[in-house]
Amino acid sequence: MGIQGMEILAVGVVLFMFMAVLKQFGVLEPMEDSSESDLELSTVRHQPEGLDQLQAQTKFTKKELQSLYRGFKNECPSGLVDEETFKMIYSQFFPQGDATTYAHFLFNAFDIDRTGSIRFEDFVIGLSVLLRGSVHEKLKWAFNLYDINKDGYITKEEMLAIMKSIYDMMGNYTYPSVREDTPFEHVEKFFQKMDRNQDGVVTIDEFMETCQKDENIMSSMQLFENVI
Amino acid sequence: MAAGVAAWLPFARAAAIGWMPVASAPMPLAPREKRRTQDGFIIINVSGTKFQTWRSTLERYPDTLLGSTEKDFFFNEEINEYFFDRDPDIFRHILNFYRTGKLHYPRHECISAYDEELSFFGIIPEIIGDCCYEEYKDRRRENAERIQDDADDENNKEGVMPDMTLRQSMWRAFENPHTSTLALVFYYVTGFFIAVSVIANVVETVPCRASPGMIKDLPCGERYALAFFCLDTACVMIFTVEYLLRLIAAPSRYRFVRSVMSIIDVVAIMPYYIGLVMTDNEDVSGAFVTLRVFRVFRIFKFSRHSQGLRILGYTLKSCASELGFLLFSLTMAIIIFATVMFYAEKGSTASKFTSIPAAFWYTIVTMTTLGYGDMVPKTIVGKIVGSVCSLSGVLVIALPVPVIVSNFSRIYHQNQRADKRRAQKKARLARIRVAKSGSANAYMQSKHNGLLTDSPEQASKEAGQAFLSKTNLSFEKEHHHLLHCLEKTTNHEFVDEETYEKNCMEVSSVNPPGSRCSSISSQHGLTSTCCSRRNKKTFRLPNSNMSGSHAGSLQELSTIQIRERPLISNSRSSLNAKMEDTVQRNSEHPYVTSAIISIRTPPVTSREGNNTSDSPDYSQRNIVKVSAL
Repeated sequence: MGIQGMEILAVGVVLFMFMAVLKQFGVLEPMEDSSESDLELSTVRHQPEGLDQLQAQTKFTKKELQSLYRGFKNECPSGLVDEETFKMIYSQFFPQGDATTYAHFLFNAFDIDRTGSIRFEDFVIGLSVLLRGSVHEKLKWAFNLYDINKDGYITKEEMLAIMKSIYDMMGNYTYPSVREDTPFEHVEKFFQKMDRNQDGVVTIDEFMETCQKDENIMSSMQLFENVI
Repeated sequence: MAAGVAAWLPFARAAAIGWMPVASAPMPLAPREKRRTQDGFIIINVSGTKFQTWRSTLERYPDTLLGSTEKDFFFNEEINEYFFDRDPDIFRHILNFYRTGKLHYPRHECISAYDEELSFFGIIPEIIGDCCYEEYKDRRRENAERIQDDADDENNKEGVMPDMTLRQSMWRAFENPHTSTLALVFYYVTGFFIAVSVIANVVETVPCRASPGMIKDLPCGERYALAFFCLDTACVMIFTVEYLLRLIAAPSRYRFVRSVMSIIDVVAIMPYYIGLVMTDNEDVSGAFVTLRVFRVFRIFKFSRHSQGLRILGYTLKSCASELGFLLFSLTMAIIIFATVMFYAEKGSTASKFTSIPAAFWYTIVTMTTLGYGDMVPKTIVGKIVGSVCSLSGVLVIALPVPVIVSNFSRIYHQNQRADKRRAQKKARLARIRVAKSGSANAYMQSKHNGLLTDSPEQASKEAGQAFLSKTNLSFEKEHHHLLHCLEKTTNHEFVDEETYEKNCMEVSSVNPPGSRCSSISSQHGLTSTCCSRRNKKTFRLPNSNMSGSHAGSLQELSTIQIRERPLISNSRSSLNAKMEDTVQRNSEHPYVTSAIISIRTPPVTSREGNNTSDSPDYSQRNIVKVSAL
């Protein structure tokens, strides 16, 4: 009697394992509602504002805007750049290192209204500042980039994060090689220079003042005038 | 870097302003950008189809033709466009590559044409997008196989070199029965004897009517033992001889001995010899009987005769992994089901499932849906398990079979294609040869008509009237002029086939037999079989006719091997004026090739009577005269 019960139990176990194997092969799937995925709309599209409005908002000529839009639309047919795509594109320019962190910061700098994706207007407005703006505007843009939480102050942690991401872009094979504390030292140097009142944060005024006094920085701001 | 990403480079550079405040060192100067004109259109005219694109689109890939200054070579000032005399349909894809950064391969295009266009425009095919890459690679592979097949074919047929040893010719005869009649005969004879041997083995075991005096039926083998023994002996004799001949002829004996076919041969004939050696000892006769089983391996010898069998063999070899998987999954399933079945049926009375191995038989029979019925489950659980077993058996067996089938089909069709190509090739080559000989004769014709003499006025006067109607294309004229220059350079002249052969006939009657000459009758490299070889052929077996024509047809496609022959002046009346030139050449027969230098010094004084005075001088001049090519 006991033996027969054991046999039936064994047979039951075998049958159960059989089912498990079948499930593994996907034959018996747990019934999922897979119809939802079919209704998913194809990507969201975005059309930019009119050419004239953009021309008013930026300092580009019509032809430049046309050319910029063509390049933009070619890469992102939907009219929006999300962070992943942005990271991917930016990483292509820095094959040796890992540009994703810096791209993240850059993305946030361009995505002014924090929508999570860059539209053509954001793109073009940012570029307008960078290429056609005054030095003051450019410096403000840079400050905005470093100020990760956009609270108006650059802390040491924020600066360290930015610095590390920049050094990440360099990759492993550099001369001299990047040591663990290289970003930290660089941040220290930066703060020494920028932080006037030594309160541990850099405000926009301190930043502006210091930069305007520095010859190198002022000249390098003019470097990319002719990019477009 | 992808094309589209290049469009973002200005953005990346602009964003570099973000590094400026933290920079440790001064920045380098920006590259001097020549302020080129605003991004303008560029019009590309490909065989009349106009394509327009931005200049910057093309400049995305500066290492291609269109992206670099190389395209300036194709700029046509009159129409102010870049003109390419290429295929516009394929160009469409190439231009799309610049636009989208992805190169696609259109399925309906010929792979060679596509490759040519790609290499013309300087685009490496490796950047074909993933969507089309597989298709491209498949087509490429097929093409390569085809080319390889053709090359192999040529190699096989080119082996008709006169200086092949007996051993090599024997091996060729064995491997390729169509090369000579003897090989074909041998092929059929061995095939016949294989069939006879196999049938004898089979019939041996059939029960014949008992001879009077015996009670039960004897198998025929024992009744007519002597007859079967004689037949077996004859077959084995033939097989042994064949094996030994193959062994002798093989280029690499070690490799031959290791090959599958030779092992089959050995296994097929071994039992006979072992049987001869062994006496009628009771102990070993059992083993001897087992050995006779190996005689059935003779049927595998048919695989030399049947291509289908060989294809099957290749298929099985190439599907080894699928077969392995099939075997493995079957084994797994058999063990599982047998175990379950055994324990399920353990309780029932008089169960046939005495052990798990005994249940294996049931499982196999059920899974392959044979269902002999010698072992049947009686309990309900057993029946349930049995039904699950048969259902899953169908699935497990059906899964790898299509893979094997598709592999077989692919290899089989490939073979079919190779055969078809070979058959079509002969017809194609014949047609090509006719077309070529037409143009070759044109040169001879024009020479005949003296259109190439140095005094054109005289020539035209002589032959002009009759041939004024003939349109002399400038291309032809220039080509003929070129050939004429060649003749002058080498101090030899081109002749046509018949004259050369006639000449050769006479020469060979004087020359020792076995002289070799291979003639080329025209500048195009058309070859005809050498006349002396033809003579040789008439003396010996008429079996190399095929090989000769093959050589002729195939050498046609190979590069030019120019060998010079003497000019036969008596065939050209109009060139009598050039007697002085021809005198020098008549008496000598330097056969010069680019690779082989064979110096012939035939005494030809007997042939050209009027040149005897010159011949002693020039017989010494049979030094190798490499043509000034």
